[in-house]
Amino acid sequence: MQKTEAHFFNGLTAGRHEVHVALSDDRQAMIITGDTLPEPLRWSLMDLRALHDTSHKDRLTLTRHADTGDEAPRDPARLVLHDPELIAWMHRTRPGLFRTDLHKGTWRKVFLYSGGALVAAGLMLFVILPAMANTLALIIPVEREIAFGKVVVSQMERVLGRTEKKSLSCENLAGRAALTTMLTRLTENQEMEYQISAQVFDHGMVNAFAAPGGQVVILRGLLDNAQGPDEVAGVLAHEIGHVESRDATRHALRTAGSAGLLSMLIGDFTGGTAIALVGEHLMTAAYTRDAEAAADLFALDMLQAANVDAAGFARFFDEMDGLKGIEIPAYLSTHPVTAERAEQARGFAQSQSGTRPILNDAEWQALRNICR
Amino acid sequence: MSTTQDSMDIRYTGEKGPLFNLAFKTGLLTVVTLGIYRFWQKTRIRKYIWSSVDAGGDTFEYTGTGIEKLLGFLIAVVFLAIYIGIIQMVLFYAGLSVMVDPQRASPQEMIAQTIALYITFFAVLPFILYAVYRARRYKMARTRWRGIRFGMEKGAWGFVWRAMGYGFLAVITLGILTPLQTFRLEKYQADRSYYGSARFTQTGKWTELYPAMKHMLIGIGILVLSFALIGGGAVSENVGLIGFGGFAAFVGYVWVIIGGIHYGVQSFAYLTANKVLGDDIHFTAAPRTGFVIKTYIVGGLLVGLLASVAFGIVGTIAAAFIPLLQNGGGMIAFGIVMAVGYVVALVLTQALSLILITQPILAHYIEKLEIVNADGLNRIAQREAETGVDAEGFADALDIGGAI
Ligand SMILES: [Zn+2]
Repeated sequence: MQKTEAHFFNGLTAGRHEVHVALSDDRQAMIITGDTLPEPLRWSLMDLRALHDTSHKDRLTLTRHADTGDEAPRDPARLVLHDPELIAWMHRTRPGLFRTDLHKGTWRKVFLYSGGALVAAGLMLFVILPAMANTLALIIPVEREIAFGKVVVSQMERVLGRTEKKSLSCENLAGRAALTTMLTRLTENQEMEYQISAQVFDHGMVNAFAAPGGQVVILRGLLDNAQGPDEVAGVLAHEIGHVESRDATRHALRTAGSAGLLSMLIGDFTGGTAIALVGEHLMTAAYTRDAEAAADLFALDMLQAANVDAAGFARFFDEMDGLKGIEIPAYLSTHPVTAERAEQARGFAQSQSGTRPILNDAEWQALRNICR
Repeated sequence: MSTTQDSMDIRYTGEKGPLFNLAFKTGLLTVVTLGIYRFWQKTRIRKYIWSSVDAGGDTFEYTGTGIEKLLGFLIAVVFLAIYIGIIQMVLFYAGLSVMVDPQRASPQEMIAQTIALYITFFAVLPFILYAVYRARRYKMARTRWRGIRFGMEKGAWGFVWRAMGYGFLAVITLGILTPLQTFRLEKYQADRSYYGSARFTQTGKWTELYPAMKHMLIGIGILVLSFALIGGGAVSENVGLIGFGGFAAFVGYVWVIIGGIHYGVQSFAYLTANKVLGDDIHFTAAPRTGFVIKTYIVGGLLVGLLASVAFGIVGTIAAAFIPLLQNGGGMIAFGIVMAVGYVVALVLTQALSLILITQPILAHYIEKLEIVNADGLNRIAQREAETGVDAEGFADALDIGGAI
């Protein structure tokens, strides 16, 4: 390595120093000399680092590995080499030249911060937002909830394929009368917080859902699949249970919060997608296991009070179980059916006495034909 | 390096090939790592671009690191997750009363709902502005020239209030006070900026930005006129007048867009030419609007053309897999090929727009810069290292910050 010219910046002022660099006698360091330097500098070859990812072809900027308070452990001084031979020599003999060094404890920091971010997001999604949703769902005025429920039902209708001209709601008069009969039988003599209104949508999916504020929607596919009116009554009572415990409202609030959080990561703040998500989420996402169990208990009590045989409700679960092999019915994904739930309904049915069918044959046929 | 006695030229030496390779390679790494590598991608691309800026023979250096960007992002995520989650739910709750079905609602209900939705945006706006200031501060703190650090003082919240205030003024005056907004916000930031021990000062007057706004105002004038023509045509049932009005509206629209670019370029030129570093170091800036527009159009067309070729190739390869679709394995393979091809084409498009649009425009701005009284630079001393910056984590979490 010959004595060669370079530019030196001492990291203290912006002045440029014309310097010479040469290898030290012990070949362990680079000696930097210059007229404007107070004394020759000795840069150990071991500590030398070069800037990487630069566009430079005709220069190599060197610095030193040093434990400074900088963003990277680097000496603020810079030595710029222009001599092609020296640059080639550096590349050849210093394999660690472009190495990245980290401050001590960096990985620990990364680990801690990542853990913290995960914990914070998890806390938000699974603890804070659900708790807030619970509180807000309890204090929301009923009128508001009803207005919101109408929007949700209409949103669901659109998702299921409503067009401008044709509403999905089934309007057959005899069918509607039968549905009203069923609803009245279930809710009469009950202390109800909400005025329940039920309707059937003309869609082949085996499903039913409760919207905020007392609206229950049954899809035609569920009627087509049911063996008798008692099954439908069981499902209806279960959905009324969700309504009464405000599960749908709670769920919608929680979804809104989570959607806001998640959309931050995708980069949408206007909330437009959040609203759309709520509608779809209500249909596709399951309530919690506790909410399901509570709605089941509510349904069984309701059936008992109305003298309706809970065996129908149990049979509905069995049929769902039978369908599982062929295709997973939508109802299952929103209301996870477990063997215990069927068993619970069956056991309950055995304790019942003096039950009578909720609809007569003519009414049941009318209900099944509600979409004709 | 043409350093005369007291003026210093600035050159841009970056090339298309190496930057494309770097952007494409790091883009693929970002995809493979599910986005985590983006902090390093941004860092490496900036290192390339900064090192291509040559002032008087000495190049700039970008000293930011990928790891500090990752840490900054994690901090921002924790904070924003909590804030946005809660605000979103509260607003949703508050907005329930105005929730309506878009297909069946009255106009008043629609307006109420729209307002409720935009409240969410305004709830996040302070953080977006905060992030804008912090991102600029971070870039300054990680830029060095001749080994001396640039820097910017704290002051993000002061920026937030001013930006909201001047933004409001600009909006309610239908854009007439835009120069006031541009000038005051730039002055706020420039006056807090340093190169080493020397402070930048923004001089000049906001009213002097109006000449740069000329074409925007002309475009708005044509638009107003065209609406009058269409309205007059509708009243008098004159189809020719309506057609002419429609044509005028189109011209006005294009004029406003080009006028907007012109304002962006020329207000930058004015603001740069009126900055002072230390006591007497000045700048000249003469970027040309024509060049910027030409680059947008030609570069945009080229990117579009090359991208459609890339996506076409993906489609052709995917089509070759269709005969395999008879079995389940083929279906999965098809899906994978499609997804991979799509992502590669997307990364390619990003890299192309970097070298065909972003870099040429940046190079033009830089080449048209000159430092006057450059001798004063030699007397500037180092400033303290800045470790408290959040490494633009908020900007990343909120997805703002542009191409580089
Ligand atoms: Zn349920």
